[in-house]
Amino acid sequence: MLIKSNDLLAFLHKAVQEKLDGTTDVVLPTSNGNGHTYFGTLQNGQTAVLNSFRTVDPTKILFYLTRERMRPEELAQKKRIILGVKNCDLKALEVMDRALINQEFVDPTYKHWRESSVIVTSDCGAIGPTCHCNLVDGHPFATSGFDLNLSAINDNYVITVGSDKGEALLKLLQKHVTLSQAPETVKQQVENQRKAIQQQLEQQNAAYARSTNYDHMRAVEHELWNDVSKQCIGCGACTHICPTCYCLILNDETKAQKFVKERSYDSCQLSGYARVAGGATPRPEMHKRFRNRYLCKFDFMPHDFGLLGCTGCGRCTDACAGEIDFREVVHVVDKNLATV
Amino acid sequence: MAAMVESLRPDNMLHNPYEVIPATIYEIVQESPLIRTIRLRPEKPIKFQTGQFIELTIPGIGEGPFTPSSSHFISDVMDVTIMKTGFVTEYVHQAQVGDLVGLRGPFGSRYPIEKFEGKDVVILGGGCGLAPLRSLFTTLLDNVDKYNSITFLAGAKTPKDCIYKAEVTGWRKYDNVKFLRAVDVVPEGEEWDEEVGVVTVLLKKLDIDPTDNPAVVCGPPIMMKYGTLDLLKYGYKEENLYLSMEKKMYCGFGQCRHCVMGHYYACKDGPVFTYAQIKDEEDIWE
Repeated sequence: MLIKSNDLLAFLHKAVQEKLDGTTDVVLPTSNGNGHTYFGTLQNGQTAVLNSFRTVDPTKILFYLTRERMRPEELAQKKRIILGVKNCDLKALEVMDRALINQEFVDPTYKHWRESSVIVTSDCGAIGPTCHCNLVDGHPFATSGFDLNLSAINDNYVITVGSDKGEALLKLLQKHVTLSQAPETVKQQVENQRKAIQQQLEQQNAAYARSTNYDHMRAVEHELWNDVSKQCIGCGACTHICPTCYCLILNDETKAQKFVKERSYDSCQLSGYARVAGGATPRPEMHKRFRNRYLCKFDFMPHDFGLLGCTGCGRCTDACAGEIDFREVVHVVDKNLATV
Repeated sequence: MAAMVESLRPDNMLHNPYEVIPATIYEIVQESPLIRTIRLRPEKPIKFQTGQFIELTIPGIGEGPFTPSSSHFISDVMDVTIMKTGFVTEYVHQAQVGDLVGLRGPFGSRYPIEKFEGKDVVILGGGCGLAPLRSLFTTLLDNVDKYNSITFLAGAKTPKDCIYKAEVTGWRKYDNVKFLRAVDVVPEGEEWDEEVGVVTVLLKKLDIDPTDNPAVVCGPPIMMKYGTLDLLKYGYKEENLYLSMEKKMYCGFGQCRHCVMGHYYACKDGPVFTYAQIKDEEDIWE
């Protein structure tokens, strides 16, 4: 189906104002005019940007809040439409889903936010300087796992349905907006556009080419990790902004004999991360903590969840105060993998 | 995940794992200058299996993982033995009878005591590592005839640091149970007529065929390491050595990742591991 971008925007405004189908929030990438986008709401008057590359903030902040009370019974009932989610973040949510909603336990607040949201992905119409999903077998467009997907062509979006939730949203959309069938020529345009962006990515990241087998990453000499982590100051920005990092600390906010746990992000890059009472810590040196992050993405998470922990969004590189390029590190490590 | 690991981890994650059960301290035993046992009465019974741990909250301060030190056949009350060594434990040592604390759990794997039946069981521990071992030991004592023999080798720094003093006489009454102790040093003015040396010196008093018998180890990292290596030297099999790994088990159920040791989580795959399981992982002794 095809929808005019102005019609979509008008519908989204109406959906919130008139609480269509119980909609409470519309969240989508908004521009601050400097070329970057951030998740925001329609209400603040900023420009919605659905066809650029991923937002500065990872989508996880909408589902795994930076600080949150672990009392799901107190959570507000919401129904959110989240648009402009990019494929890297969608894949990251898949990792989070396996980590936080599984047979062993269910994270009550994550599940709440996940269930109360409809996810509308959109194809990347541009790439960011650190984007590298192509290096982790990804694409700048989603083919599954979304509720609805939007592919921008001129002033229109081609809509693809990916789930029952998406089907329901499409029906709601059709009640308020006239949609047309997407002609074959437009579908072909989508394909061509996707290929073009993929090619841009491949060109951008050609210098960081690597194998896709990380099985022996643990065997790489500590010496090498020491070298590649020299500029790391251990601030933890990379893990906080990573769309798959979910390490947490619990603060006790108990007052008046009512037990309350509040969760916030933690980072394995911080020196006190795994320290136990008495002072012992398994990774006192920075390069060991640095190495731990890469192992977590390429060894531990694949072991635990069957998925790579890196989806190639490149945010860790953007956020790094030491200007460490994640791609470069993996590239160098990979070169050494061949020799171990 | 290996099948054996799953069997050691009872399914108890069906509730909100962040839910805190209030408990009242009804008795405090000052075991040594740095170690005390607090006796808790939770608002509702907490059924655990020996070796599993709980998260203890001091309201408004924080929480930490501790292994109950009482028998798992008791669920309406629970003993927790805690050393003063950090932020939360400092407050545990200021707590008074009647104070309210919180409990989450139980979490993690258990000692597979059904495999110990008919065997000669050796328990080796030191310092505050005796806490989970007292739970195991008293759980075994509740059905003492099921085991061929039970030998508990307990270490402490000095005679003053020995814990569970009030219970030693009772523990030594059983025919098939030995409770042996060693202290590292005997400072002037303190009396001691048992073994002197690191706890592993007690291994020379052992007269057990290690081939198919289990041994359980818990203590400070350095003791865990050398205790394990000495038991291997004695002839114990890697798969019969059970270690209680204590890492920073922050959440208790494999979410926060603080206790990850390579492909294992101390909190959900452990804290009870066989040496065979984890011997190749990094940093296990730190």
